[in-house]
Amino acid sequence: MLPARPLDDPRGPLSVVERGRTDSAHDQALQSIVDRLTGGLPDRDDTPDGWVTAVRRLAPRAAEYAPFPEGVDDRLQQVLAARGIEQLYTHQAAAIEHALAQRSVVITTPTASGKTLCYNAPVLSAILGDPSARALYLFPTKALAQDQLAELHELSDQLSRRAELEIGVFTYDGDTPQDARRAIRGRAHIVLSNPDMLHSGILPHHPRWAKLFENLRYVVIDELHAYRGVFGSHLTNVLRRMRRICRHYGSNPTFICSSATIANPKELAEALVEQPFELVSDSGAPRGEKFFLFVNPPVVNRQLGIRRSYLAETRRIASEFLKRQLQLIVFAQSRLTTEILTTYLKDDFGGPPGTQDQIRGYRGGYLPQRRREIEKGLREGSVRAVVSTNALELGIDIGALDVCVMAGYPGTIASTWQRAGRAGRRSGRSAAVLVASSAPLDQFVVRNPSYFFDAPPEHALINPDNLHILVDHVKCAAFELPFTTTEQYGKHDVQEVLGILAESGFVHRKNEESQWQWTNESYPADAVSLRSISSDNFVVVDTTNGADVIGETSFTSGPPTLHEKAIYIIEGSLYQVEKLDFDGRKAYVRQIDCDYYTDAITYTKVTVLDTFDGGSFDSGLGIRDSGSGNASVPNPESLIPNPGKSHGEVHVSSRVVGFKKIKFYTNENVGSGELDLPEQQMHTTAYWLTVPTSVMAALPYAPDDRRDGVVGLSFAMRQVAQLLLMCDRQDIGISIGSGEQGDDTDLTRTGQPFDVAQGGPATLADEPRIFIYDNYPGGIGFSEPLFGMHDSLLARTRELIAGCECQHGCPTCVGPVGNTGPLAKNVALRILDLIAGAEPASPAVEVA
Amino acid sequence: MSSLADRLRGVIKSVPSGADPSGPRDECLDAAEILGGEWRDSRGQTFLVVDRKYAPGYRHGRVSIADCLPPEGGIWPRLELLTTCGANLSGSPREPERLAPQTKLLFLDLETTGLAGGAGTYAFLVGCGWFDGATFRLRQFFLSSFGAERALLESVAELAADTACVVTYNGKTFDLPLIETRFALQRMQTPFAGMPHVDMLHPARRLWREDDACRLTNLERTLCGHEREGDVPGFEIPSRYFHYVRSGDARGLDAVFEHNRLDIVSLAMLTARATQLLDEGAAAARTSREALGMGVLYERAGMVNEALDAFARAAKADLPASAPCASAARRSLGEGGKVGLYGNEIADEVIRGEALRAYAILCRRLRRYDAAAGAWQRVLDLRRCPPHIVREATEALAVHHEHRARDLQVARTFALQSLQLQATASRQQAVQHRLARLDRKLGSAAVIPDAPAPPLF
Repeated sequence: MLPARPLDDPRGPLSVVERGRTDSAHDQALQSIVDRLTGGLPDRDDTPDGWVTAVRRLAPRAAEYAPFPEGVDDRLQQVLAARGIEQLYTHQAAAIEHALAQRSVVITTPTASGKTLCYNAPVLSAILGDPSARALYLFPTKALAQDQLAELHELSDQLSRRAELEIGVFTYDGDTPQDARRAIRGRAHIVLSNPDMLHSGILPHHPRWAKLFENLRYVVIDELHAYRGVFGSHLTNVLRRMRRICRHYGSNPTFICSSATIANPKELAEALVEQPFELVSDSGAPRGEKFFLFVNPPVVNRQLGIRRSYLAETRRIASEFLKRQLQLIVFAQSRLTTEILTTYLKDDFGGPPGTQDQIRGYRGGYLPQRRREIEKGLREGSVRAVVSTNALELGIDIGALDVCVMAGYPGTIASTWQRAGRAGRRSGRSAAVLVASSAPLDQFVVRNPSYFFDAPPEHALINPDNLHILVDHVKCAAFELPFTTTEQYGKHDVQEVLGILAESGFVHRKNEESQWQWTNESYPADAVSLRSISSDNFVVVDTTNGADVIGETSFTSGPPTLHEKAIYIIEGSLYQVEKLDFDGRKAYVRQIDCDYYTDAITYTKVTVLDTFDGGSFDSGLGIRDSGSGNASVPNPESLIPNPGKSHGEVHVSSRVVGFKKIKFYTNENVGSGELDLPEQQMHTTAYWLTVPTSVMAALPYAPDDRRDGVVGLSFAMRQVAQLLLMCDRQDIGISIGSGEQGDDTDLTRTGQPFDVAQGGPATLADEPRIFIYDNYPGGIGFSEPLFGMHDSLLARTRELIAGCECQHGCPTCVGPVGNTGPLAKNVALRILDLIAGAEPASPAVEVA
Repeated sequence: MSSLADRLRGVIKSVPSGADPSGPRDECLDAAEILGGEWRDSRGQTFLVVDRKYAPGYRHGRVSIADCLPPEGGIWPRLELLTTCGANLSGSPREPERLAPQTKLLFLDLETTGLAGGAGTYAFLVGCGWFDGATFRLRQFFLSSFGAERALLESVAELAADTACVVTYNGKTFDLPLIETRFALQRMQTPFAGMPHVDMLHPARRLWREDDACRLTNLERTLCGHEREGDVPGFEIPSRYFHYVRSGDARGLDAVFEHNRLDIVSLAMLTARATQLLDEGAAAARTSREALGMGVLYERAGMVNEALDAFARAAKADLPASAPCASAARRSLGEGGKVGLYGNEIADEVIRGEALRAYAILCRRLRRYDAAAGAWQRVLDLRRCPPHIVREATEALAVHHEHRARDLQVARTFALQSLQLQATASRQQAVQHRLARLDRKLGSAAVIPDAPAPPLF
């Protein structure tokens, strides 16, 4: 139990100024709820609040200041002083000093620590010193750029008056009107844009931007941690192209990057920009007191290992705070859960019909106007609670909230801190509550709080030399400036890439010339989307009254969420999909009133195309640089009679085959349907575990139970792989089969079917393989590290299953018992033991 | 073959093909010979220049070069009425760009490697035409190898140096930005920056609007009576060039060069026709469409009397709406000579309605209120006038009779009439408002004099 008030309360001077009279009431309300949750006053039997597994109090911290470094323009200092900034926080001073000395720098400091000054100060100083100097700011979203524009305008306006120099600051993105673009190109000192616009709108037209590229002094990349995986791999290539163009125009910009807390900010910056970086990570900003709570919903059925629904628990905890007039944000894991929680909270706190909504949902797919309205409502206080997907995780200005409740572990330490930072941006008292779902990763985290609080956060991984991504950008680069025959680009031999591109006529080099020319009519940047496999999306058309577009969704999530008869939810309103026009990328929906939602069932099948490495129990020294090109030397198939680990190239095809209807609140399965949707296919990379025939034969179980064991094992392995790779859930996929062409033993279903007999192939190959594949064409760099971590993957998986409290399997280990069968847990453990026992028997095979 | 190459082929989906041999198939095929040009060396780079002269007697259909010649040693009068004026956003009559009288007109047309623009879209053929005494000269600069671009652009800049005005077809959106990008890429000053520019697409749309996006070849057919034979379709042009780049075989390009030349000659003839019309005045118009377009061009240049004449001419019933469309004519011949008379009648009335509207609005601006009212009244006499113009006429007449003629009953009749016509809610509301006010005035006393007349709109 916590003391009613912390003993030490050294709030910084800022907090005294900022905090009004009512804040102390807020603080008390917050404190009393925290006390209640942590065991102070458990007043309801059915919700034993003892299930709080961790309470951490993050002490307030006073500011640490430093003087302005030399080289910050006097006029800028005067303007800042007029705004009350007479000295800098220590991290700001350090970052500015690096930037002014032309050393690229990455800054990792918490939300609201004044990071924007870290880049605005050197940039504005440079412009004041040399009005021809230019800077480019890149934000992951247009909304963030708009947010920054307002702030930067204020500063640059004051400076412009004082310096008698018109400092042009403009956003340049897809929303910029065509007729304004020429003026912006001529007048902008600072261009605020995003990687997508740089990629398709600026770089291909670089001659028009000659002034910018000739004088480009600084490139600012905000929210660097957002560029992981596919997006980051694309960004590296966009930056490679930009730096080619800078070289052409004779500039060499300094990079200033800011990132949320991740384990490897310096490495990520260096991987993205491919040049050395300085790191500034110690924040000098003051911080308010914050409580961080982990809540694990109580077990309601020990036999089945079933816990009280984490959504219900989230609803209860959010209600506690809402009842005490605290403003809060609830983060949900998916668009679906966002809508479900919004519905729940609206039921509880919605107010009489017709009054303004105090509870709002927020997610990608809402149209911009609706989003702006919600953001404004949050800042002004008219919105008391917002339920959001990760869409509000990044720095959109929604003001200072009191409480953040996370329904489910966000998947990474970095984004958990980022979301928690949404509460208490100013210096008042705040709280963050993490409510664990029964997913293994959640359970692992709430049971091992020190993993979260004390271990280093995740590494961000990118693979810019993924051939699919690389080739797309080599095309774009060749369009922008001809490649010379001695030029390097990325880690592969770009001359070889150009040679193959020449075979298809994209580029051409005459025998005597030293340049590869673009010889194609197309505008290659148009064919490349930085954010997903294709730039395609589905729009949702409401036909209830006429035909209004009410939302959109990405190409890959279209089939599972917008199939016919699917329930589409937007801010608690239910719509049923009446028709999916797959080719036209439109879903026609009609508003309905029903008490269930739908969940799609997807079948996935993996076929091995090429094995890069594996087939032995040789230890994991095999982590190689996936970009080197050497790693791709395949082993002949004949080298893999041995059981164990492999990684290589695979073909993945997946298809939505059906859906289930699930009742709100009770989560009962109240029906199902079959679907016939087009198959989606990709080539990617995968790690796989081969369970040898000898192990399968040695299992003293019936064939059905053996199959259940393999399914359960794969379920647990996926969770551990996600933890080890520190990736998002959707970054990897899983499949079971032999991996042979035409083989029909695939067991994989996602979407947690409740009924095993619901269909699908059910027999198991003699030597089944569990595939964990990169869920992106060409792979994104997870398979090879996972191959290297094979031993700890199996060891951790065994720990997870063996350590679980359930009897026959539960969603925390091998999956719900109704899904995987009664013996899955035992069989899975037995398989792992047999493999471990088999290990010494297989002599290590040297890989050529 | 390395595994990287195989994987790349999988990614690119490339099939190595022998379709494009890297060397010329036939050693003796010299591009200069095929295309009828000369190699030019500059800065160690070689490109091809093709020169042509068109004698005064050269014809495109009915029109000869001699018909088009500008006055000796100068440019056509009224050319400035056709210039684009990007800065004119105020809606006021624009200041025509001043054209230096002694220097040349440059007719420019590019053939490019794509339509998208951007750094990777090349202008592989820069065609330039100009009048030289009584002949028309044409020079084409051909980018026979990419390395020669700078040298080629220098030659273009040299030719363009003493240009008074550059004339293009759709050059405002396409040709000029594209060639400016090429100059910028070579870090050179573009000669076209700030140069007066006539983009004939826009006046042509006004004067001779055609179906099918007002294409140059269509205008060539209707205005000159010239029918191209074996013209290369536009979409084929980049691939013909790429074929040359890879194989050195220029045979496919001859048609592209001819296409470019025809475009430039037609462009010059088109421009000549437009300036002659504008010089001769409304009486020269052969169709009401032409007269209406002339009126708009005069009005933009502030030549209000000429504009009023032209609108009045367009509103007369003795002119056909537009020249018989060549394709329609052809169709009619093929199908027994039956042209949709009814269709033409509608077109006539639409153009007359637009002309009367333009006339009325210009009169009102000139404070010739009675003339304006007369024109609006004539709009209502048309049988098939577009409804939005009818509505505008009834509203204008209601205003006129309320505030100018002071005949409230008549004003009320027009207001009621406009209420019958479809309109947006806010317009309907404005009319209701007017009706209520008229009823008030009529009801209280018919003689309450209006306070100083409020602004009309």
